[in-house]
Amino acid sequence: MNTLIVISVLPIVLLYLGLYKAKNALLPVTIVGLLVALGLAVSQWNVDAQPIFSGMMLFDKYAIAFSSISILSTILILALSKEYFERISSHVAEYYAVILFALAGIIVMVSYHNLSMLFIGIEIMSVSLYILAGIKKTDFASNEAALKYFLMGAFSTGFLLFGITLIYGSSGSFDLDVIRDWALTHTAKTVDPMFYTGIMLMIVGLCFKVGAAPFHFWTPDVYEGSPTLITAFMSTTVKTAGFAAFLRLFSTCFASLADLWTPTLMVITVITLCVGNVTALYQQSFKRMLAFSSISHAGYLLFAIVALGINSGNSVFVYATAYTVASIIAFAVLILVQQQSGNDNFESFNGLGKRNPFLAFVLTVAMLSLAGIPLTAGFMGKFFMFGGAVAKMQIWMVIIAVINAIVSIYYYFKVIIAIYFRDAERAELVAPGYVNVVLGLSVVITLVIGVYPNLISNLIP
Amino acid sequence: MSIFYFIAFLSILFAVLVITAKNPVHSVLYLILTFFTITIHYILLNAQFLAIVNFIVYMGAIMVLFLFVLMLLNLNVESEPVKSNIVKFAGVIGGCCLLATLFGTLKLAATSSPVVLQDQGLGLVKNLGKVLFKEFLLPFEISSILLLSAMVGAVLLAKRERQPDGKVF
Repeated sequence: MNTLIVISVLPIVLLYLGLYKAKNALLPVTIVGLLVALGLAVSQWNVDAQPIFSGMMLFDKYAIAFSSISILSTILILALSKEYFERISSHVAEYYAVILFALAGIIVMVSYHNLSMLFIGIEIMSVSLYILAGIKKTDFASNEAALKYFLMGAFSTGFLLFGITLIYGSSGSFDLDVIRDWALTHTAKTVDPMFYTGIMLMIVGLCFKVGAAPFHFWTPDVYEGSPTLITAFMSTTVKTAGFAAFLRLFSTCFASLADLWTPTLMVITVITLCVGNVTALYQQSFKRMLAFSSISHAGYLLFAIVALGINSGNSVFVYATAYTVASIIAFAVLILVQQQSGNDNFESFNGLGKRNPFLAFVLTVAMLSLAGIPLTAGFMGKFFMFGGAVAKMQIWMVIIAVINAIVSIYYYFKVIIAIYFRDAERAELVAPGYVNVVLGLSVVITLVIGVYPNLISNLIP
Repeated sequence: MSIFYFIAFLSILFAVLVITAKNPVHSVLYLILTFFTITIHYILLNAQFLAIVNFIVYMGAIMVLFLFVLMLLNLNVESEPVKSNIVKFAGVIGGCCLLATLFGTLKLAATSSPVVLQDQGLGLVKNLGKVLFKEFLLPFEISSILLLSAMVGAVLLAKRERQPDGKVF
């Protein structure tokens, strides 16, 4: 709760700082504020959490773990934003404020204990993102991204809300515990059709938000059109929060009715994996490739919900951490390359290995982690996901996923080949110190989790 | 009871006028009247909050928006595009589906036992306020973040920018 208060008050402070033209204080104040929020969240770790405010919020270990990873990745992304927003316009304070509003929504999304809070959390996050997607006002692609995201997002919210209404109609409450108890008294045979429809509509709404196929059509255009830093935020923090909310709902409420919705979600997972990976093969632009790869990662993350078990929370946490950190590296290097060459094609990375060995190395580690090569965090994430699925006897799904993982190596290695084996006349990229710090930290996290996954894989009980 | 029949008659009358009016602007005006009669129905049913929301949001905001859009579009008979046969065919299919559904529903319809409200004052604004400020206090307060974020964003997107080279766009 204290975390949420800090993150809600911080943007208002930033807006005042912007009003008094304290430009240089913005980033330090944001980062200090977020670190305070992170500290407050972690300090609740050993407290026995109870639902607060008439069962609206439950700040348990699950919520703390996902809040922390969201806050941490936001800090890393904001650390890259120095001098980035200044190039877009002079209203820098408002950008920080809107990003933090989105983060407040994310905190609500990972700690809700009532469907009305889930809805409000998702809406706070989405409305802020619609704005952030369109902050490059003179750029046509950015305008398109904002409008497309807004229309699609509003449409999917309709599904989500309809689902919540039907579930309320049959169970008589928004509270997760009451819905769970209602679901426990019914079996897959005797359950109300209305409840069943409600679950399906909620799956549709949430899959829209996390960008799973066949509800992924907005993802590539929005990710490509938005400013790169915002894309980084969308594909890391937002996606993690979406899955945290998804898993919290299904593991708390609908676990006893798994037979009802598992087949649907299984089909969605397989389609997501195949569509994401196969389409990513044909991309020429690095940013668009990352957009499609984020769709395929959504597919891997869905494994945790399809094979729902006691370790689902942990495997989503490990996978999301690995994916977040590796994506931040990829987007950070992309921003630097984009500034130099003006476009985001694979050719822009030619010759990076000779001129900027450090950047080339971190990008290679990130790509290996995204592809799931051993000794990186991405491998551990996939390992836990597939392990959970095998335990649930879903062998053929794991086989499809492994084939997809092999396909994905092709397009991740395209970047590595461009870096090391294609030569091009280019000047050395000047990476500012803070970018190097973010990159270094992310690489260390990736490698440490890759070698010692137990550090974070048993956090959530 | 006689008020109910009178209002119900008016709702149906205005609803029919909505689809028979030649001028789209008249059509929207009739729609506003239809919503107004529905608002009165809500009041008759003792649902104060729904009545107010229907009045403000549907009649006020949404219908005025409709009217503005219609006036901006400047629809009239000459500029109306000629509908192709495929569109007409699709319309016929859609209409038949609706008719079949309605017919099926009416065939299954039976007098259901009337739902007796536990609390007669369920729809009163007073009760809603109590729920909103007791059990649902947190969502109610957090909605303010949503509104603030949307407000900041709307101003941010709509404001003119001054570029470093002095150009305004």
